[in-house]
Amino acid sequence: MVKSVRLFFFALLVLNAPVLRADDQVAVTVQRPWMRAVPDVMDSTAVYMVLVNTSSVPAELVGGSTTIADSVAPMITTKEGEGLKQVVGMQGVDALEIPAHGTLVLEPNGNHLMVMGLKEHPKEGTQVDFTIKLEPGDHEIHLKIPVQKKPVK
Amino acid sequence: MSVVSPNTTSVPNPPAKRPFFDWRVWTVAIVLLVAVGLAVLFGVKQNAQQGFFGMRLFPLKTAYDFKLQGANGAEVRLDQFQGKAVLFLFGFTHCANICPTSLTNLTEVYQALTPEERKQVQVVFISVDPNRDTPQTLEQYVTSFDPTFIGATASKPAIDQTVLAYGGSYEMVAGPTNQTNDYSVNHSAYTYLVNPSGKLELLYGNEKLAEVSKMVSDIRAVLREPRS
Repeated sequence: MVKSVRLFFFALLVLNAPVLRADDQVAVTVQRPWMRAVPDVMDSTAVYMVLVNTSSVPAELVGGSTTIADSVAPMITTKEGEGLKQVVGMQGVDALEIPAHGTLVLEPNGNHLMVMGLKEHPKEGTQVDFTIKLEPGDHEIHLKIPVQKKPVK
Repeated sequence: MSVVSPNTTSVPNPPAKRPFFDWRVWTVAIVLLVAVGLAVLFGVKQNAQQGFFGMRLFPLKTAYDFKLQGANGAEVRLDQFQGKAVLFLFGFTHCANICPTSLTNLTEVYQALTPEERKQVQVVFISVDPNRDTPQTLEQYVTSFDPTFIGATASKPAIDQTVLAYGGSYEMVAGPTNQTNDYSVNHSAYTYLVNPSGKLELLYGNEKLAEVSKMVSDIRAVLREPRS
């Protein structure tokens, strides 16, 4: 009995494998990416963009990297408390979901990719090499991101 | 189950017909009409007075006179800006999202004012992280947004007193590496507008600051108010 159940699941796995692999193809496109130009005294900055998932499976933004900084991490903005006592903060998360046929918006005051330990200061008007990491499939998208003070209008 | 036979309802006598010009009905109607009219008029007037984009405080109270340190040992006190509208906010320079967003928006608001108006407006950024933010760092930080902006901080007790006086709050949160200097600060993200008479008048949540033209019209309205 146990054996047949195992066999059944094994068969299921094998039969589904090609399908799973097809879904592994992350179909995410990036729109309007930008890195915030920050004062020289700052050792961190943030990257914003809109991620569009055109596939029927959810994807996740799990991180990124850039040559100009030590690390990149997905962050959410938190709000605790009400009224005047409300405090706004940020919190690192393992992943930010991009729903199937949906979008993930990274924007000022909201979700963002925090770029920490700046080794080189991003200058306004320049472009920075930036890679984002997506799951499933350990997928990477290489971008050239403009450095600016405000969102792309 | 027993079948209940419906009671035969007796038809009540029809009420005596009131004359059309019943004075009681008309009195009530007129009183109501006048009341509604007054309420509408009063409401419109109230709206015109309180048509602010920011959250307006009422009654207006004298704003707490914070005493902080600016660059080069200069004291930064709220009272020194009497006669100006002061926009101030709490934050810290290691903040990568909220603080630079707020300051970028405030820069845009400030620069949308006329040069004459700008002379009557002061933006102050108060760091709640004196451990990492020196007055010098703060000056470099805020002046990169606009050269007239002032950065200030103080000892922790003075900061706490200031935050408390404005009903705000903040807390340090350990960062991912758990090292001493790896922490973030969750903080009140309101911008407070103190009018030229030194009264705390308007509050803005951080997301409101992006509405540049509405911010500008609030500031203009505050500058036009009669001074008390």
